[in-house]
Order: sequence, then C-alpha cells, then structure tokens
Amino acid sequence: MMMSVKPRRPGWFAVLAGTLLLFGGALPGMLLAAEETSAETQGEGKETQETQEKQWGEYVIEDGKVDPGTYQGYLTYTRNCLACHGPDGLGSTFAPSLIRAAERRSFADFIGTIAAGREIQPGRVMPSFGDDPNVMKNVENIYRYMRARGEGGLGRGRPKVIESMKEKKESDDAPGETAQ
Amino acid sequence: MLRELSYALAAVGLLAATASHANQNQLELQQNPELWPVQLGNYQGNRHSTLDQINRDNIGDLRALWQFSTGVLRGHEGGPLYVGDGRLYIHTPFPNKVFALDLEEQGRIVWTYEPDQDSRVIPVMCCDTVNRGLAYADGRLFLNQADNTVISLDAETGELLWEAQNGDHTRGETMTMSPLVVHDKVIVGNSGGEFGVRGHITAYNAETGEMEWRGYSNGPDDEVLIDPETTLMMGEPIGEADLGVSTWPEGEWERGGGAPWGWVTYDPELDLIYYGTGNPGTWNPAQRTIDGEPADNKWSISVFARDPNTGQVKWVYQKVPFDEWDYDGVNENQLIDVEINGEQRKGLAIIDRTGFGFLLDRETGELLVAEKFAPETNWASHYDMETGRPVVTDEYSTFTQGVNVNTTDICPTAMGAKNMQPSSYSPETGLIYAGINRICMNYEPFETEYVAGQPYVGATLTMMPAPVQDGEMEGRMGSFIAWDPVAGETVWQVDERFAVWSGALTTAGDLAFYGTLEGYVKAVDIETGEELWRFKTPSGIIGNINTFQHEGKQYLAVLSGVGGWAGIGLAAGLEDPEAGLGAVGVFSALDDYTELGGVLTVFALSD
Repeated sequence: MMMSVKPRRPGWFAVLAGTLLLFGGALPGMLLAAEETSAETQGEGKETQETQEKQWGEYVIEDGKVDPGTYQGYLTYTRNCLACHGPDGLGSTFAPSLIRAAERRSFADFIGTIAAGREIQPGRVMPSFGDDPNVMKNVENIYRYMRARGEGGLGRGRPKVIESMKEKKESDDAPGETAQ
Repeated sequence: MLRELSYALAAVGLLAATASHANQNQLELQQNPELWPVQLGNYQGNRHSTLDQINRDNIGDLRALWQFSTGVLRGHEGGPLYVGDGRLYIHTPFPNKVFALDLEEQGRIVWTYEPDQDSRVIPVMCCDTVNRGLAYADGRLFLNQADNTVISLDAETGELLWEAQNGDHTRGETMTMSPLVVHDKVIVGNSGGEFGVRGHITAYNAETGEMEWRGYSNGPDDEVLIDPETTLMMGEPIGEADLGVSTWPEGEWERGGGAPWGWVTYDPELDLIYYGTGNPGTWNPAQRTIDGEPADNKWSISVFARDPNTGQVKWVYQKVPFDEWDYDGVNENQLIDVEINGEQRKGLAIIDRTGFGFLLDRETGELLVAEKFAPETNWASHYDMETGRPVVTDEYSTFTQGVNVNTTDICPTAMGAKNMQPSSYSPETGLIYAGINRICMNYEPFETEYVAGQPYVGATLTMMPAPVQDGEMEGRMGSFIAWDPVAGETVWQVDERFAVWSGALTTAGDLAFYGTLEGYVKAVDIETGEELWRFKTPSGIIGNINTFQHEGKQYLAVLSGVGGWAGIGLAAGLEDPEAGLGAVGVFSALDDYTELGGVLTVFALSD
C-alpha cells in the first residue's frame, strides 16, 4: 500500500514542530494540535501562507480524553474500517495500518482513497466509500483520530470526550460517554 | 472391507443407470482409508483417519518432506485432497488458483487453473478472501470462486468442464465454502452475512452445471422448501406457515442473512444433508424486532436437514432465535452414533459459535444435550431442553441494554467460541477434538441503513481475551479440547497463545493434530493432550491437516498462510480488559509471530 509514497516526514510535522517552538513549554496538558497552528498562521503571518495550508485533522488530547470530532472518528473507523484495517487503526493481515497511512499521506490522498477506492495490486483492493454518507461526512474525523493515535500518542480502545468540549458535540448517533 | 468393496462395485453397476454415480464414487473413495477425498475426511464430517503408520510411538520421526509456495498471500483455509491418483489437489484464496501436484516428484506442478475474476469482489468479502477448498467426484473437481462462479474441472487435465453463476458480488454475495457432492448434485451455499444478503443453498447437476433446486434460509415456505405439516422442529411438525416471513419486521427477511457458508455433511443411510445458517442480517437487534419486541428471525442461525434430491426440509432447529451477538450458526454438524441413556441414537454434534456443545437427534432434530464447552460463555445461562431455546442473560443482552449502548464483557465474541475450523471425532475414544477461541467482546449496536453491496452491520465491537480460569495459561486466546458430546464435558484442554483457527485431525495412531496461528503443526496424545511433536511452517495455520497413504507410506499435509477473521482481529493483539482505557498492556500480537504467504507442507516418517 505504501509503494508509491516515500517514507518522509509529512508537512504537518514541520508545522507542529514550529508550533511547539512558538508556544514553548507553555502548552498546559494539551498535547497538540494544529488548531493553534492554523489560527496562528492564518491570523497573523501572511508571509507563511503559501507554505501553511489549512491543517486537516486537527485534534485535541487532554488527559487521554479527546475532542468530539476525534471521538466521532473513532466511532466511524470502528464501524466502517475495522473489519479490514483491524482494531484501533493498527492494521491487520488483510489491510494496512491507517495510523501509518495518515502519517505518510496528505489528507487529499487519504480522502481520495476513501472516496474512490484503489486497486493496490492484484488481490489487494480498497473499496470506494464515496456513496456512503456516514463515512464521507466523517473522513476528516477518521483522519483526526488516526493522527491522534499516531503522533498524538492516544491509546487503544474507545476514548472519552473532554468534558468542557461535550456541548459542541451534536452528533446524531454518537452514544454518550458513559460507556465503559 | 472386501464385502464393502463388492457392495460398492455392485452399486456402481446399479447406479450407472440412475446417474447417481458421483455419490457412489465418493462413498467408495471414503471407504478406502488411504484416501482423503473430501475436505472433512468423510460425509459425516469426522476428520478421522484409521491410518496408524504414524503413531504415538514414532511421531518423533515425522519430517517435512517438501514444501510448495502457492504464490498467494491471504488466509489459506481448507486442505489438500488425495483421491488415490498420486496427486494432491490444492486451492488458494482469491484469485482461487487450483493446482494438481505430483506427490512422487515432490510437488511438481501437473497443471494449474486460474480463473479470471473481477477484483471488486475482494472488498465485499467480509473477513479476508478465504476459500475452504475443492470437492471431488468421478474424475471431476468442484470449486466455489469468490465471485459466485461454481466451476467443475477435469481432474486429469485441469480443463474447465462447466461453470454456473450462483450470485452477484455487486450485491455483496460471495462464496467461500467447500462444495459437497451428493448423488449427482453439487451442493453449495453463499456468503455475505455482513452485506444483508439472503442466504441460500443450491444444488447443481455435477455433470452439466444446471441448477436443480435452491432452498433459501428465510422467506416464504415455498422458497425455504418447508412444508409446515411435515417439516419437524424439535421433533414435532412446525404447524405454522411462513415463519420465515412472519418472524421478521416488514420485508426485513429479504436482507435477512442466514448465509450457509460453512460445511455441509451428509448421512447416506438417512439420505439427508445437514448444514447451519449464518447471522440474521444487521447486527443491530433492534432493527429486527416486531413492534419493539424480539422476533425469532427464522431461519437464521439454524441447523437444516434437507433431502439432497429435492431440497425439501426434513427438520430444522434454530440454535439462536433473535441473535444479538452475531453468533453465526454455520459450524459443522458432525454425524456420530452415540449411546445416550442406554439407547443407541443417530446423533449430530456441534461445537457451536455460541460456546455450547450441542447434541441433536439427526433423524428428528430433537435437542439432546446443550452444555458449555467454553466455560466463560455468559450470554445465556443454559438451554431450556423442552423448548430448545437459550435462556439469555439480561446483562449481556445487547437488545436489552439498547441501541448505542456498549454492552461489555460478553463471552464469547462474535468470532464465536469456535469459528469455521472443523472439529474431529474419533469413534475409538467417542470424543470430539476441536480448536477453540477464548475471546470475549464489547458490543454496541447502532442504527444502520441497507444499501445493496455495502456492509450492513450495525454494531461496533472490541475484543479481549476471555478471563482466565483456574490453572489456565495467562493471556491465552485459544485452546485445543477433547469434548465428550454425550456427557457435555471437556475431558482435557491444552491452552494456546492465540485462537486455534485450524481444523483438527485424529488418527488411529492415537494422535490428534492441529495447527496454531503462529504456524506450528502440533501432534498431541489423543488420550491426554500431551504435546508429542511440533513443526513450524512459514506462516500461521488456518487450514486443516489432512492425512492419506500412497504406495505404502502415510503422509500428512497442511496449507499454512495466516489470514481470515483471525488475522484481522488478532494481528495487532487484543487489549487487556484489566488495563482500562488506552491500555498499555496488550495481549500477544500475531504480527510478532507470523507474516502472510501460502505454503503447502507435506510430512512423512523419515526412512
């Protein structure tokens, strides 16, 4: 699956590194997020704009809890992708890890593969989810969840949603955080 | 033996006129202990060999003679056939290649057949592109391709004799099971339980490929081939018409699953075939209720006994009415003759998905025994032997707990306490030997919509090893057990790191064999389970170890090549349920032990 992609540090890594530098050690408990990056770069420095495109798949992790979008990404992944890609994005004998895919591929490539599918080699086929509204409306959430699992260090299993962010979540079918 | 042979010869002459020679040919081959002419060893599904050249005393001298790479990645289920012509016939997962290998020339390829299939079938195969193998009768091989094409090949040349279309993969239908040849008919079932297909079993003419009958798993009686006046349920006529429609909410039976993708067995004396049906459509039970109340969703997760000539249902037993856990009821029905309460009975034994070991009367379908072989089983406390229905535990009822509620610590998992890996029965010990799964799950149903050709699942689930009982191996996810089908008790048990996803074999050499997901073939003492021999094949084993004798030498042969649902679920390891959220402690990952790749390994005693 990774054949056409060079194993390189993707663009966001540089952005992230920059962000961490900007904020120094003052990021309290909040591990990550390109959210600040975009706000920062788009709000102020026009000169960086050509290299600073919108950052897809922003996520927040706080004490092992996540933002509602990342949580929705977990649910969407588990409902639609796990059957081939294995639990928690880890990959299986049948299909590769999506954590690695999110690390190595741009969001455009990620969403393109999900929408259109891909014949990787004889006997290995990724189906198209382009006609599945539940998947398509959550592609960025899946990407978010994968980035959180990868660089964010989010653990396995069903994450909980950060209390203060809960009201933002108006997901139609997402269950409460009471589970577990 | 001599008498049997002359019977067989007489019967061949007789049956040439009635065109039933394919069955006769199979029977004849099965009566020769040197052959392994059908995937489960015999029509009864016993996977037992009376060969004893390889035995408890000399097993240490068993050696791998040669290996053959199939050139195909993905999970290799099923096993080689040996019909006495000096060749092994093997198959692969998609693209479903078939090879005839010369046994005397260390696997020289005599011929290869590779079908041309639409690769879009791959992603609609729920749990890997597996195939459970070839069938043989009267000089012909039969195979179910992933894309629903049933084919017949000339065993001598590999030439395609006929092909028949059994379904449509763009609607989520596929095929993975091994056909069974009975009389002049090739019996096949479809797969696709996770895509809302309507399950059916179909008979094709072995000579021409013409469809002879089809019986659905759900819908009106005339399509299921039930006569409510004569078809039995728990030993009595069903009585009520069209239960395959009335036990579903409006129209839901049309995507009602019940795919019969497992093994078919056959009783030549009663002239009945036996098989089980899969899960009922969506995994969200709330979508299968009637007015909000649980409905039986017949005939999903049921054992069917049918007349192979017409498809008519003699009896049916629903193991799990109103499934709430995806306990696909396709596991093999072993036909065994037993003494129960001082009486000889024609039995039918199942090491079932549900964690229960069943014994039924195979003439009438009455339930005789239902006991837990996987002690962690908790979704039901027991079976009511009067009604034949499970007594479900509310705490683990995903319907009672509700939609969008994560019901936790249900045992066994949707993989079942045993999946497709076929068990063995030794008439000498009277015990069943089976590789089993010791895994539990959390299960959260959600509302889902049916779109043809798209997954129709409606539940998320996560899995973890079953709680360890006294004296068991820490973190084990599987066991190999000897089970007394009459007493309903485990006689001995060997724990394994991973689920034991390979078929079992027993022999008159006082040995039981099985494969592990790490790739070991193991031989154990049939009486105690003590390990006597092991060999590491190149990849995890989800295929079946078969044995046969050629030119006076007993062989063992197995396909390794990890994959299937086991590979998807266990590749990365399971979470430790005790470690809580974002668990660090993860149980053994299959990834740390094995990689993909199909290889046939052939064994014999060193000279």
